[in-house]
Amino acid sequence: MISVVAQYKLDVRCEDDVVVVRRKARQLAQLRRLDPFATAAITTAVSELSRNVLVHGRGGIALLEEVSDGTRYGIRATFEDQGPGIDNLERALAGGYSTTRTMGLGLSGSRRLVDRFDIQTTVGKGTMIRVEKWQSA
Amino acid sequence: MHTRYMRILKFDELELASRRAFFCVSDADLQRLAGLRPFAERHTKEVVDAFYELLLGHPETAKFFPDELAVKHVKKLQSEYFLQLFEGRCDLQYVENRLRVGAAHERIGLSPQWYLGAYRRYLEVLRGCLFADYGPAEAVAHLESITRLVFFDMSVAIDTYIAANVDTIGRHQLAIRELSTPVIRVHERILLMPLVGTIDSMRANQIMDTLLLRVVEEQARHVIVDIAGVPVVDTKVADSLIKTTAAVRMLGTQVIVTGISAPIARTLVQLGVDVSTMHTRARLQEGIELALEMSGKTIVDRARVGS
Amino acid sequence: MTGNIPILKIGRTLLVSIQVELSDAVAESLQNDVLSAIERSDAKGLVVDISGFDTVDTYVARILADMAKMARLMGADTVISGMRPEVAATLVRMGYTMDEVRFALNLDEALALLGHVLAK
Repeated sequence: MISVVAQYKLDVRCEDDVVVVRRKARQLAQLRRLDPFATAAITTAVSELSRNVLVHGRGGIALLEEVSDGTRYGIRATFEDQGPGIDNLERALAGGYSTTRTMGLGLSGSRRLVDRFDIQTTVGKGTMIRVEKWQSA
Repeated sequence: MHTRYMRILKFDELELASRRAFFCVSDADLQRLAGLRPFAERHTKEVVDAFYELLLGHPETAKFFPDELAVKHVKKLQSEYFLQLFEGRCDLQYVENRLRVGAAHERIGLSPQWYLGAYRRYLEVLRGCLFADYGPAEAVAHLESITRLVFFDMSVAIDTYIAANVDTIGRHQLAIRELSTPVIRVHERILLMPLVGTIDSMRANQIMDTLLLRVVEEQARHVIVDIAGVPVVDTKVADSLIKTTAAVRMLGTQVIVTGISAPIARTLVQLGVDVSTMHTRARLQEGIELALEMSGKTIVDRARVGS
Repeated sequence: MTGNIPILKIGRTLLVSIQVELSDAVAESLQNDVLSAIERSDAKGLVVDISGFDTVDTYVARILADMAKMARLMGADTVISGMRPEVAATLVRMGYTMDEVRFALNLDEALALLGHVLAK
């Protein structure tokens, strides 16, 4: 069972917010002693996904959590926006697909960096993406 | 060791509270136990003697106590341990003490079965003493409180063994990981990573991370990855090889892949792997020669040069 | 615009050492500044040292890669130096390999790669 040790809710409304969220993710990953590779992975995924919220979702929130499964610590990040949603999820997750200035590796790339990746999207309603990165065994 | 076990077991206030609740160790029980302290002091010798009578009566446990002096020593420790049951406390300090004793037993190789059997003896002797000193109703109530804390102690003792195992497995995994991704410095700023055995995705990740760290550490200009010892090169292995090559290149270092046999060459081409940007050689020796050549060095056969 | 990211000139090589975390806006203005510096000078080479970077996402990576390509079009070869192991691993895992860019382990090697021999 996964328990939440601490959580931080941050706004993603402008480009500077992306930096703030990314910096917080890095700080938490270091606090929970993820190795440098895992730390870079979750920080980068958080960076990609917050930019995704900003660019595709027209802004939203990021929820960063320190989590524990009883033997290891991890970082969980949840992103929510009330944007247009993703109409072709399969294509977006396959990578190389972009409707705007990001390069299209944001979603697919982040997915490859994390241990867990969940996405719920409804066209016209918005998108929720949740990722987790854990200490290596 | 026991503090490390506390960490491995994540024994904190939260865990303590939930475990105490599960074993029904209430504050009333602890108070009652504190009140039984004079009773316990009266019977310490009797209980501890009975305890060691059991242990010394079986060859499997007797071997841990080679002589009189050793027995005297452990009896003293055991008396302290016994009396701690009647201090009216069950906090983290208490658990740490219990873990320390458990760790000592684990270290000498006294396995849990003897541990549990010895606890049974404890309770048996205590029951006799309680019924001798108190009326039946009171004795039963006292025994109940003692049983709760003794079972709590047993759970901590078992945890010690589990923690010790987890610890050992962790150290073995680390050793295996290091063995499975060796990086050798073959020459100034030239590294060699010989890959042997099956490469699953977890190991592929380790290989990449380890190699990248070593490249920067050694400021290596060339890295030779020898795959002669990899039994099956499939899409996944090829993919991880390409990724590793690409990542090393981004550090400013060149990768040379060696050990490419005819079947592996066939697989790579059939898989559509773009080999145009990769430096590859069939044999490790050629890879080393190539790395030297690219660093402006050559291996010279002195006999031939001299002739 | 780029504030504390100075663009140095050593011989005919421009040197940019990025030691701060880049926001998207700063990355974009850095790209502009570097390109206009190439335009103004007779630079034949560009070294971008990113050893101070602990996070490079695909957005910043693309700005760097684009900058290298644009500099090449303007006649300046580009070398990116000092990428950290965890940054390289992360970019490659995301599928971004910056194939068109040249790399060096450190500043010295980057300058050497551009045919620079620093006077001793």
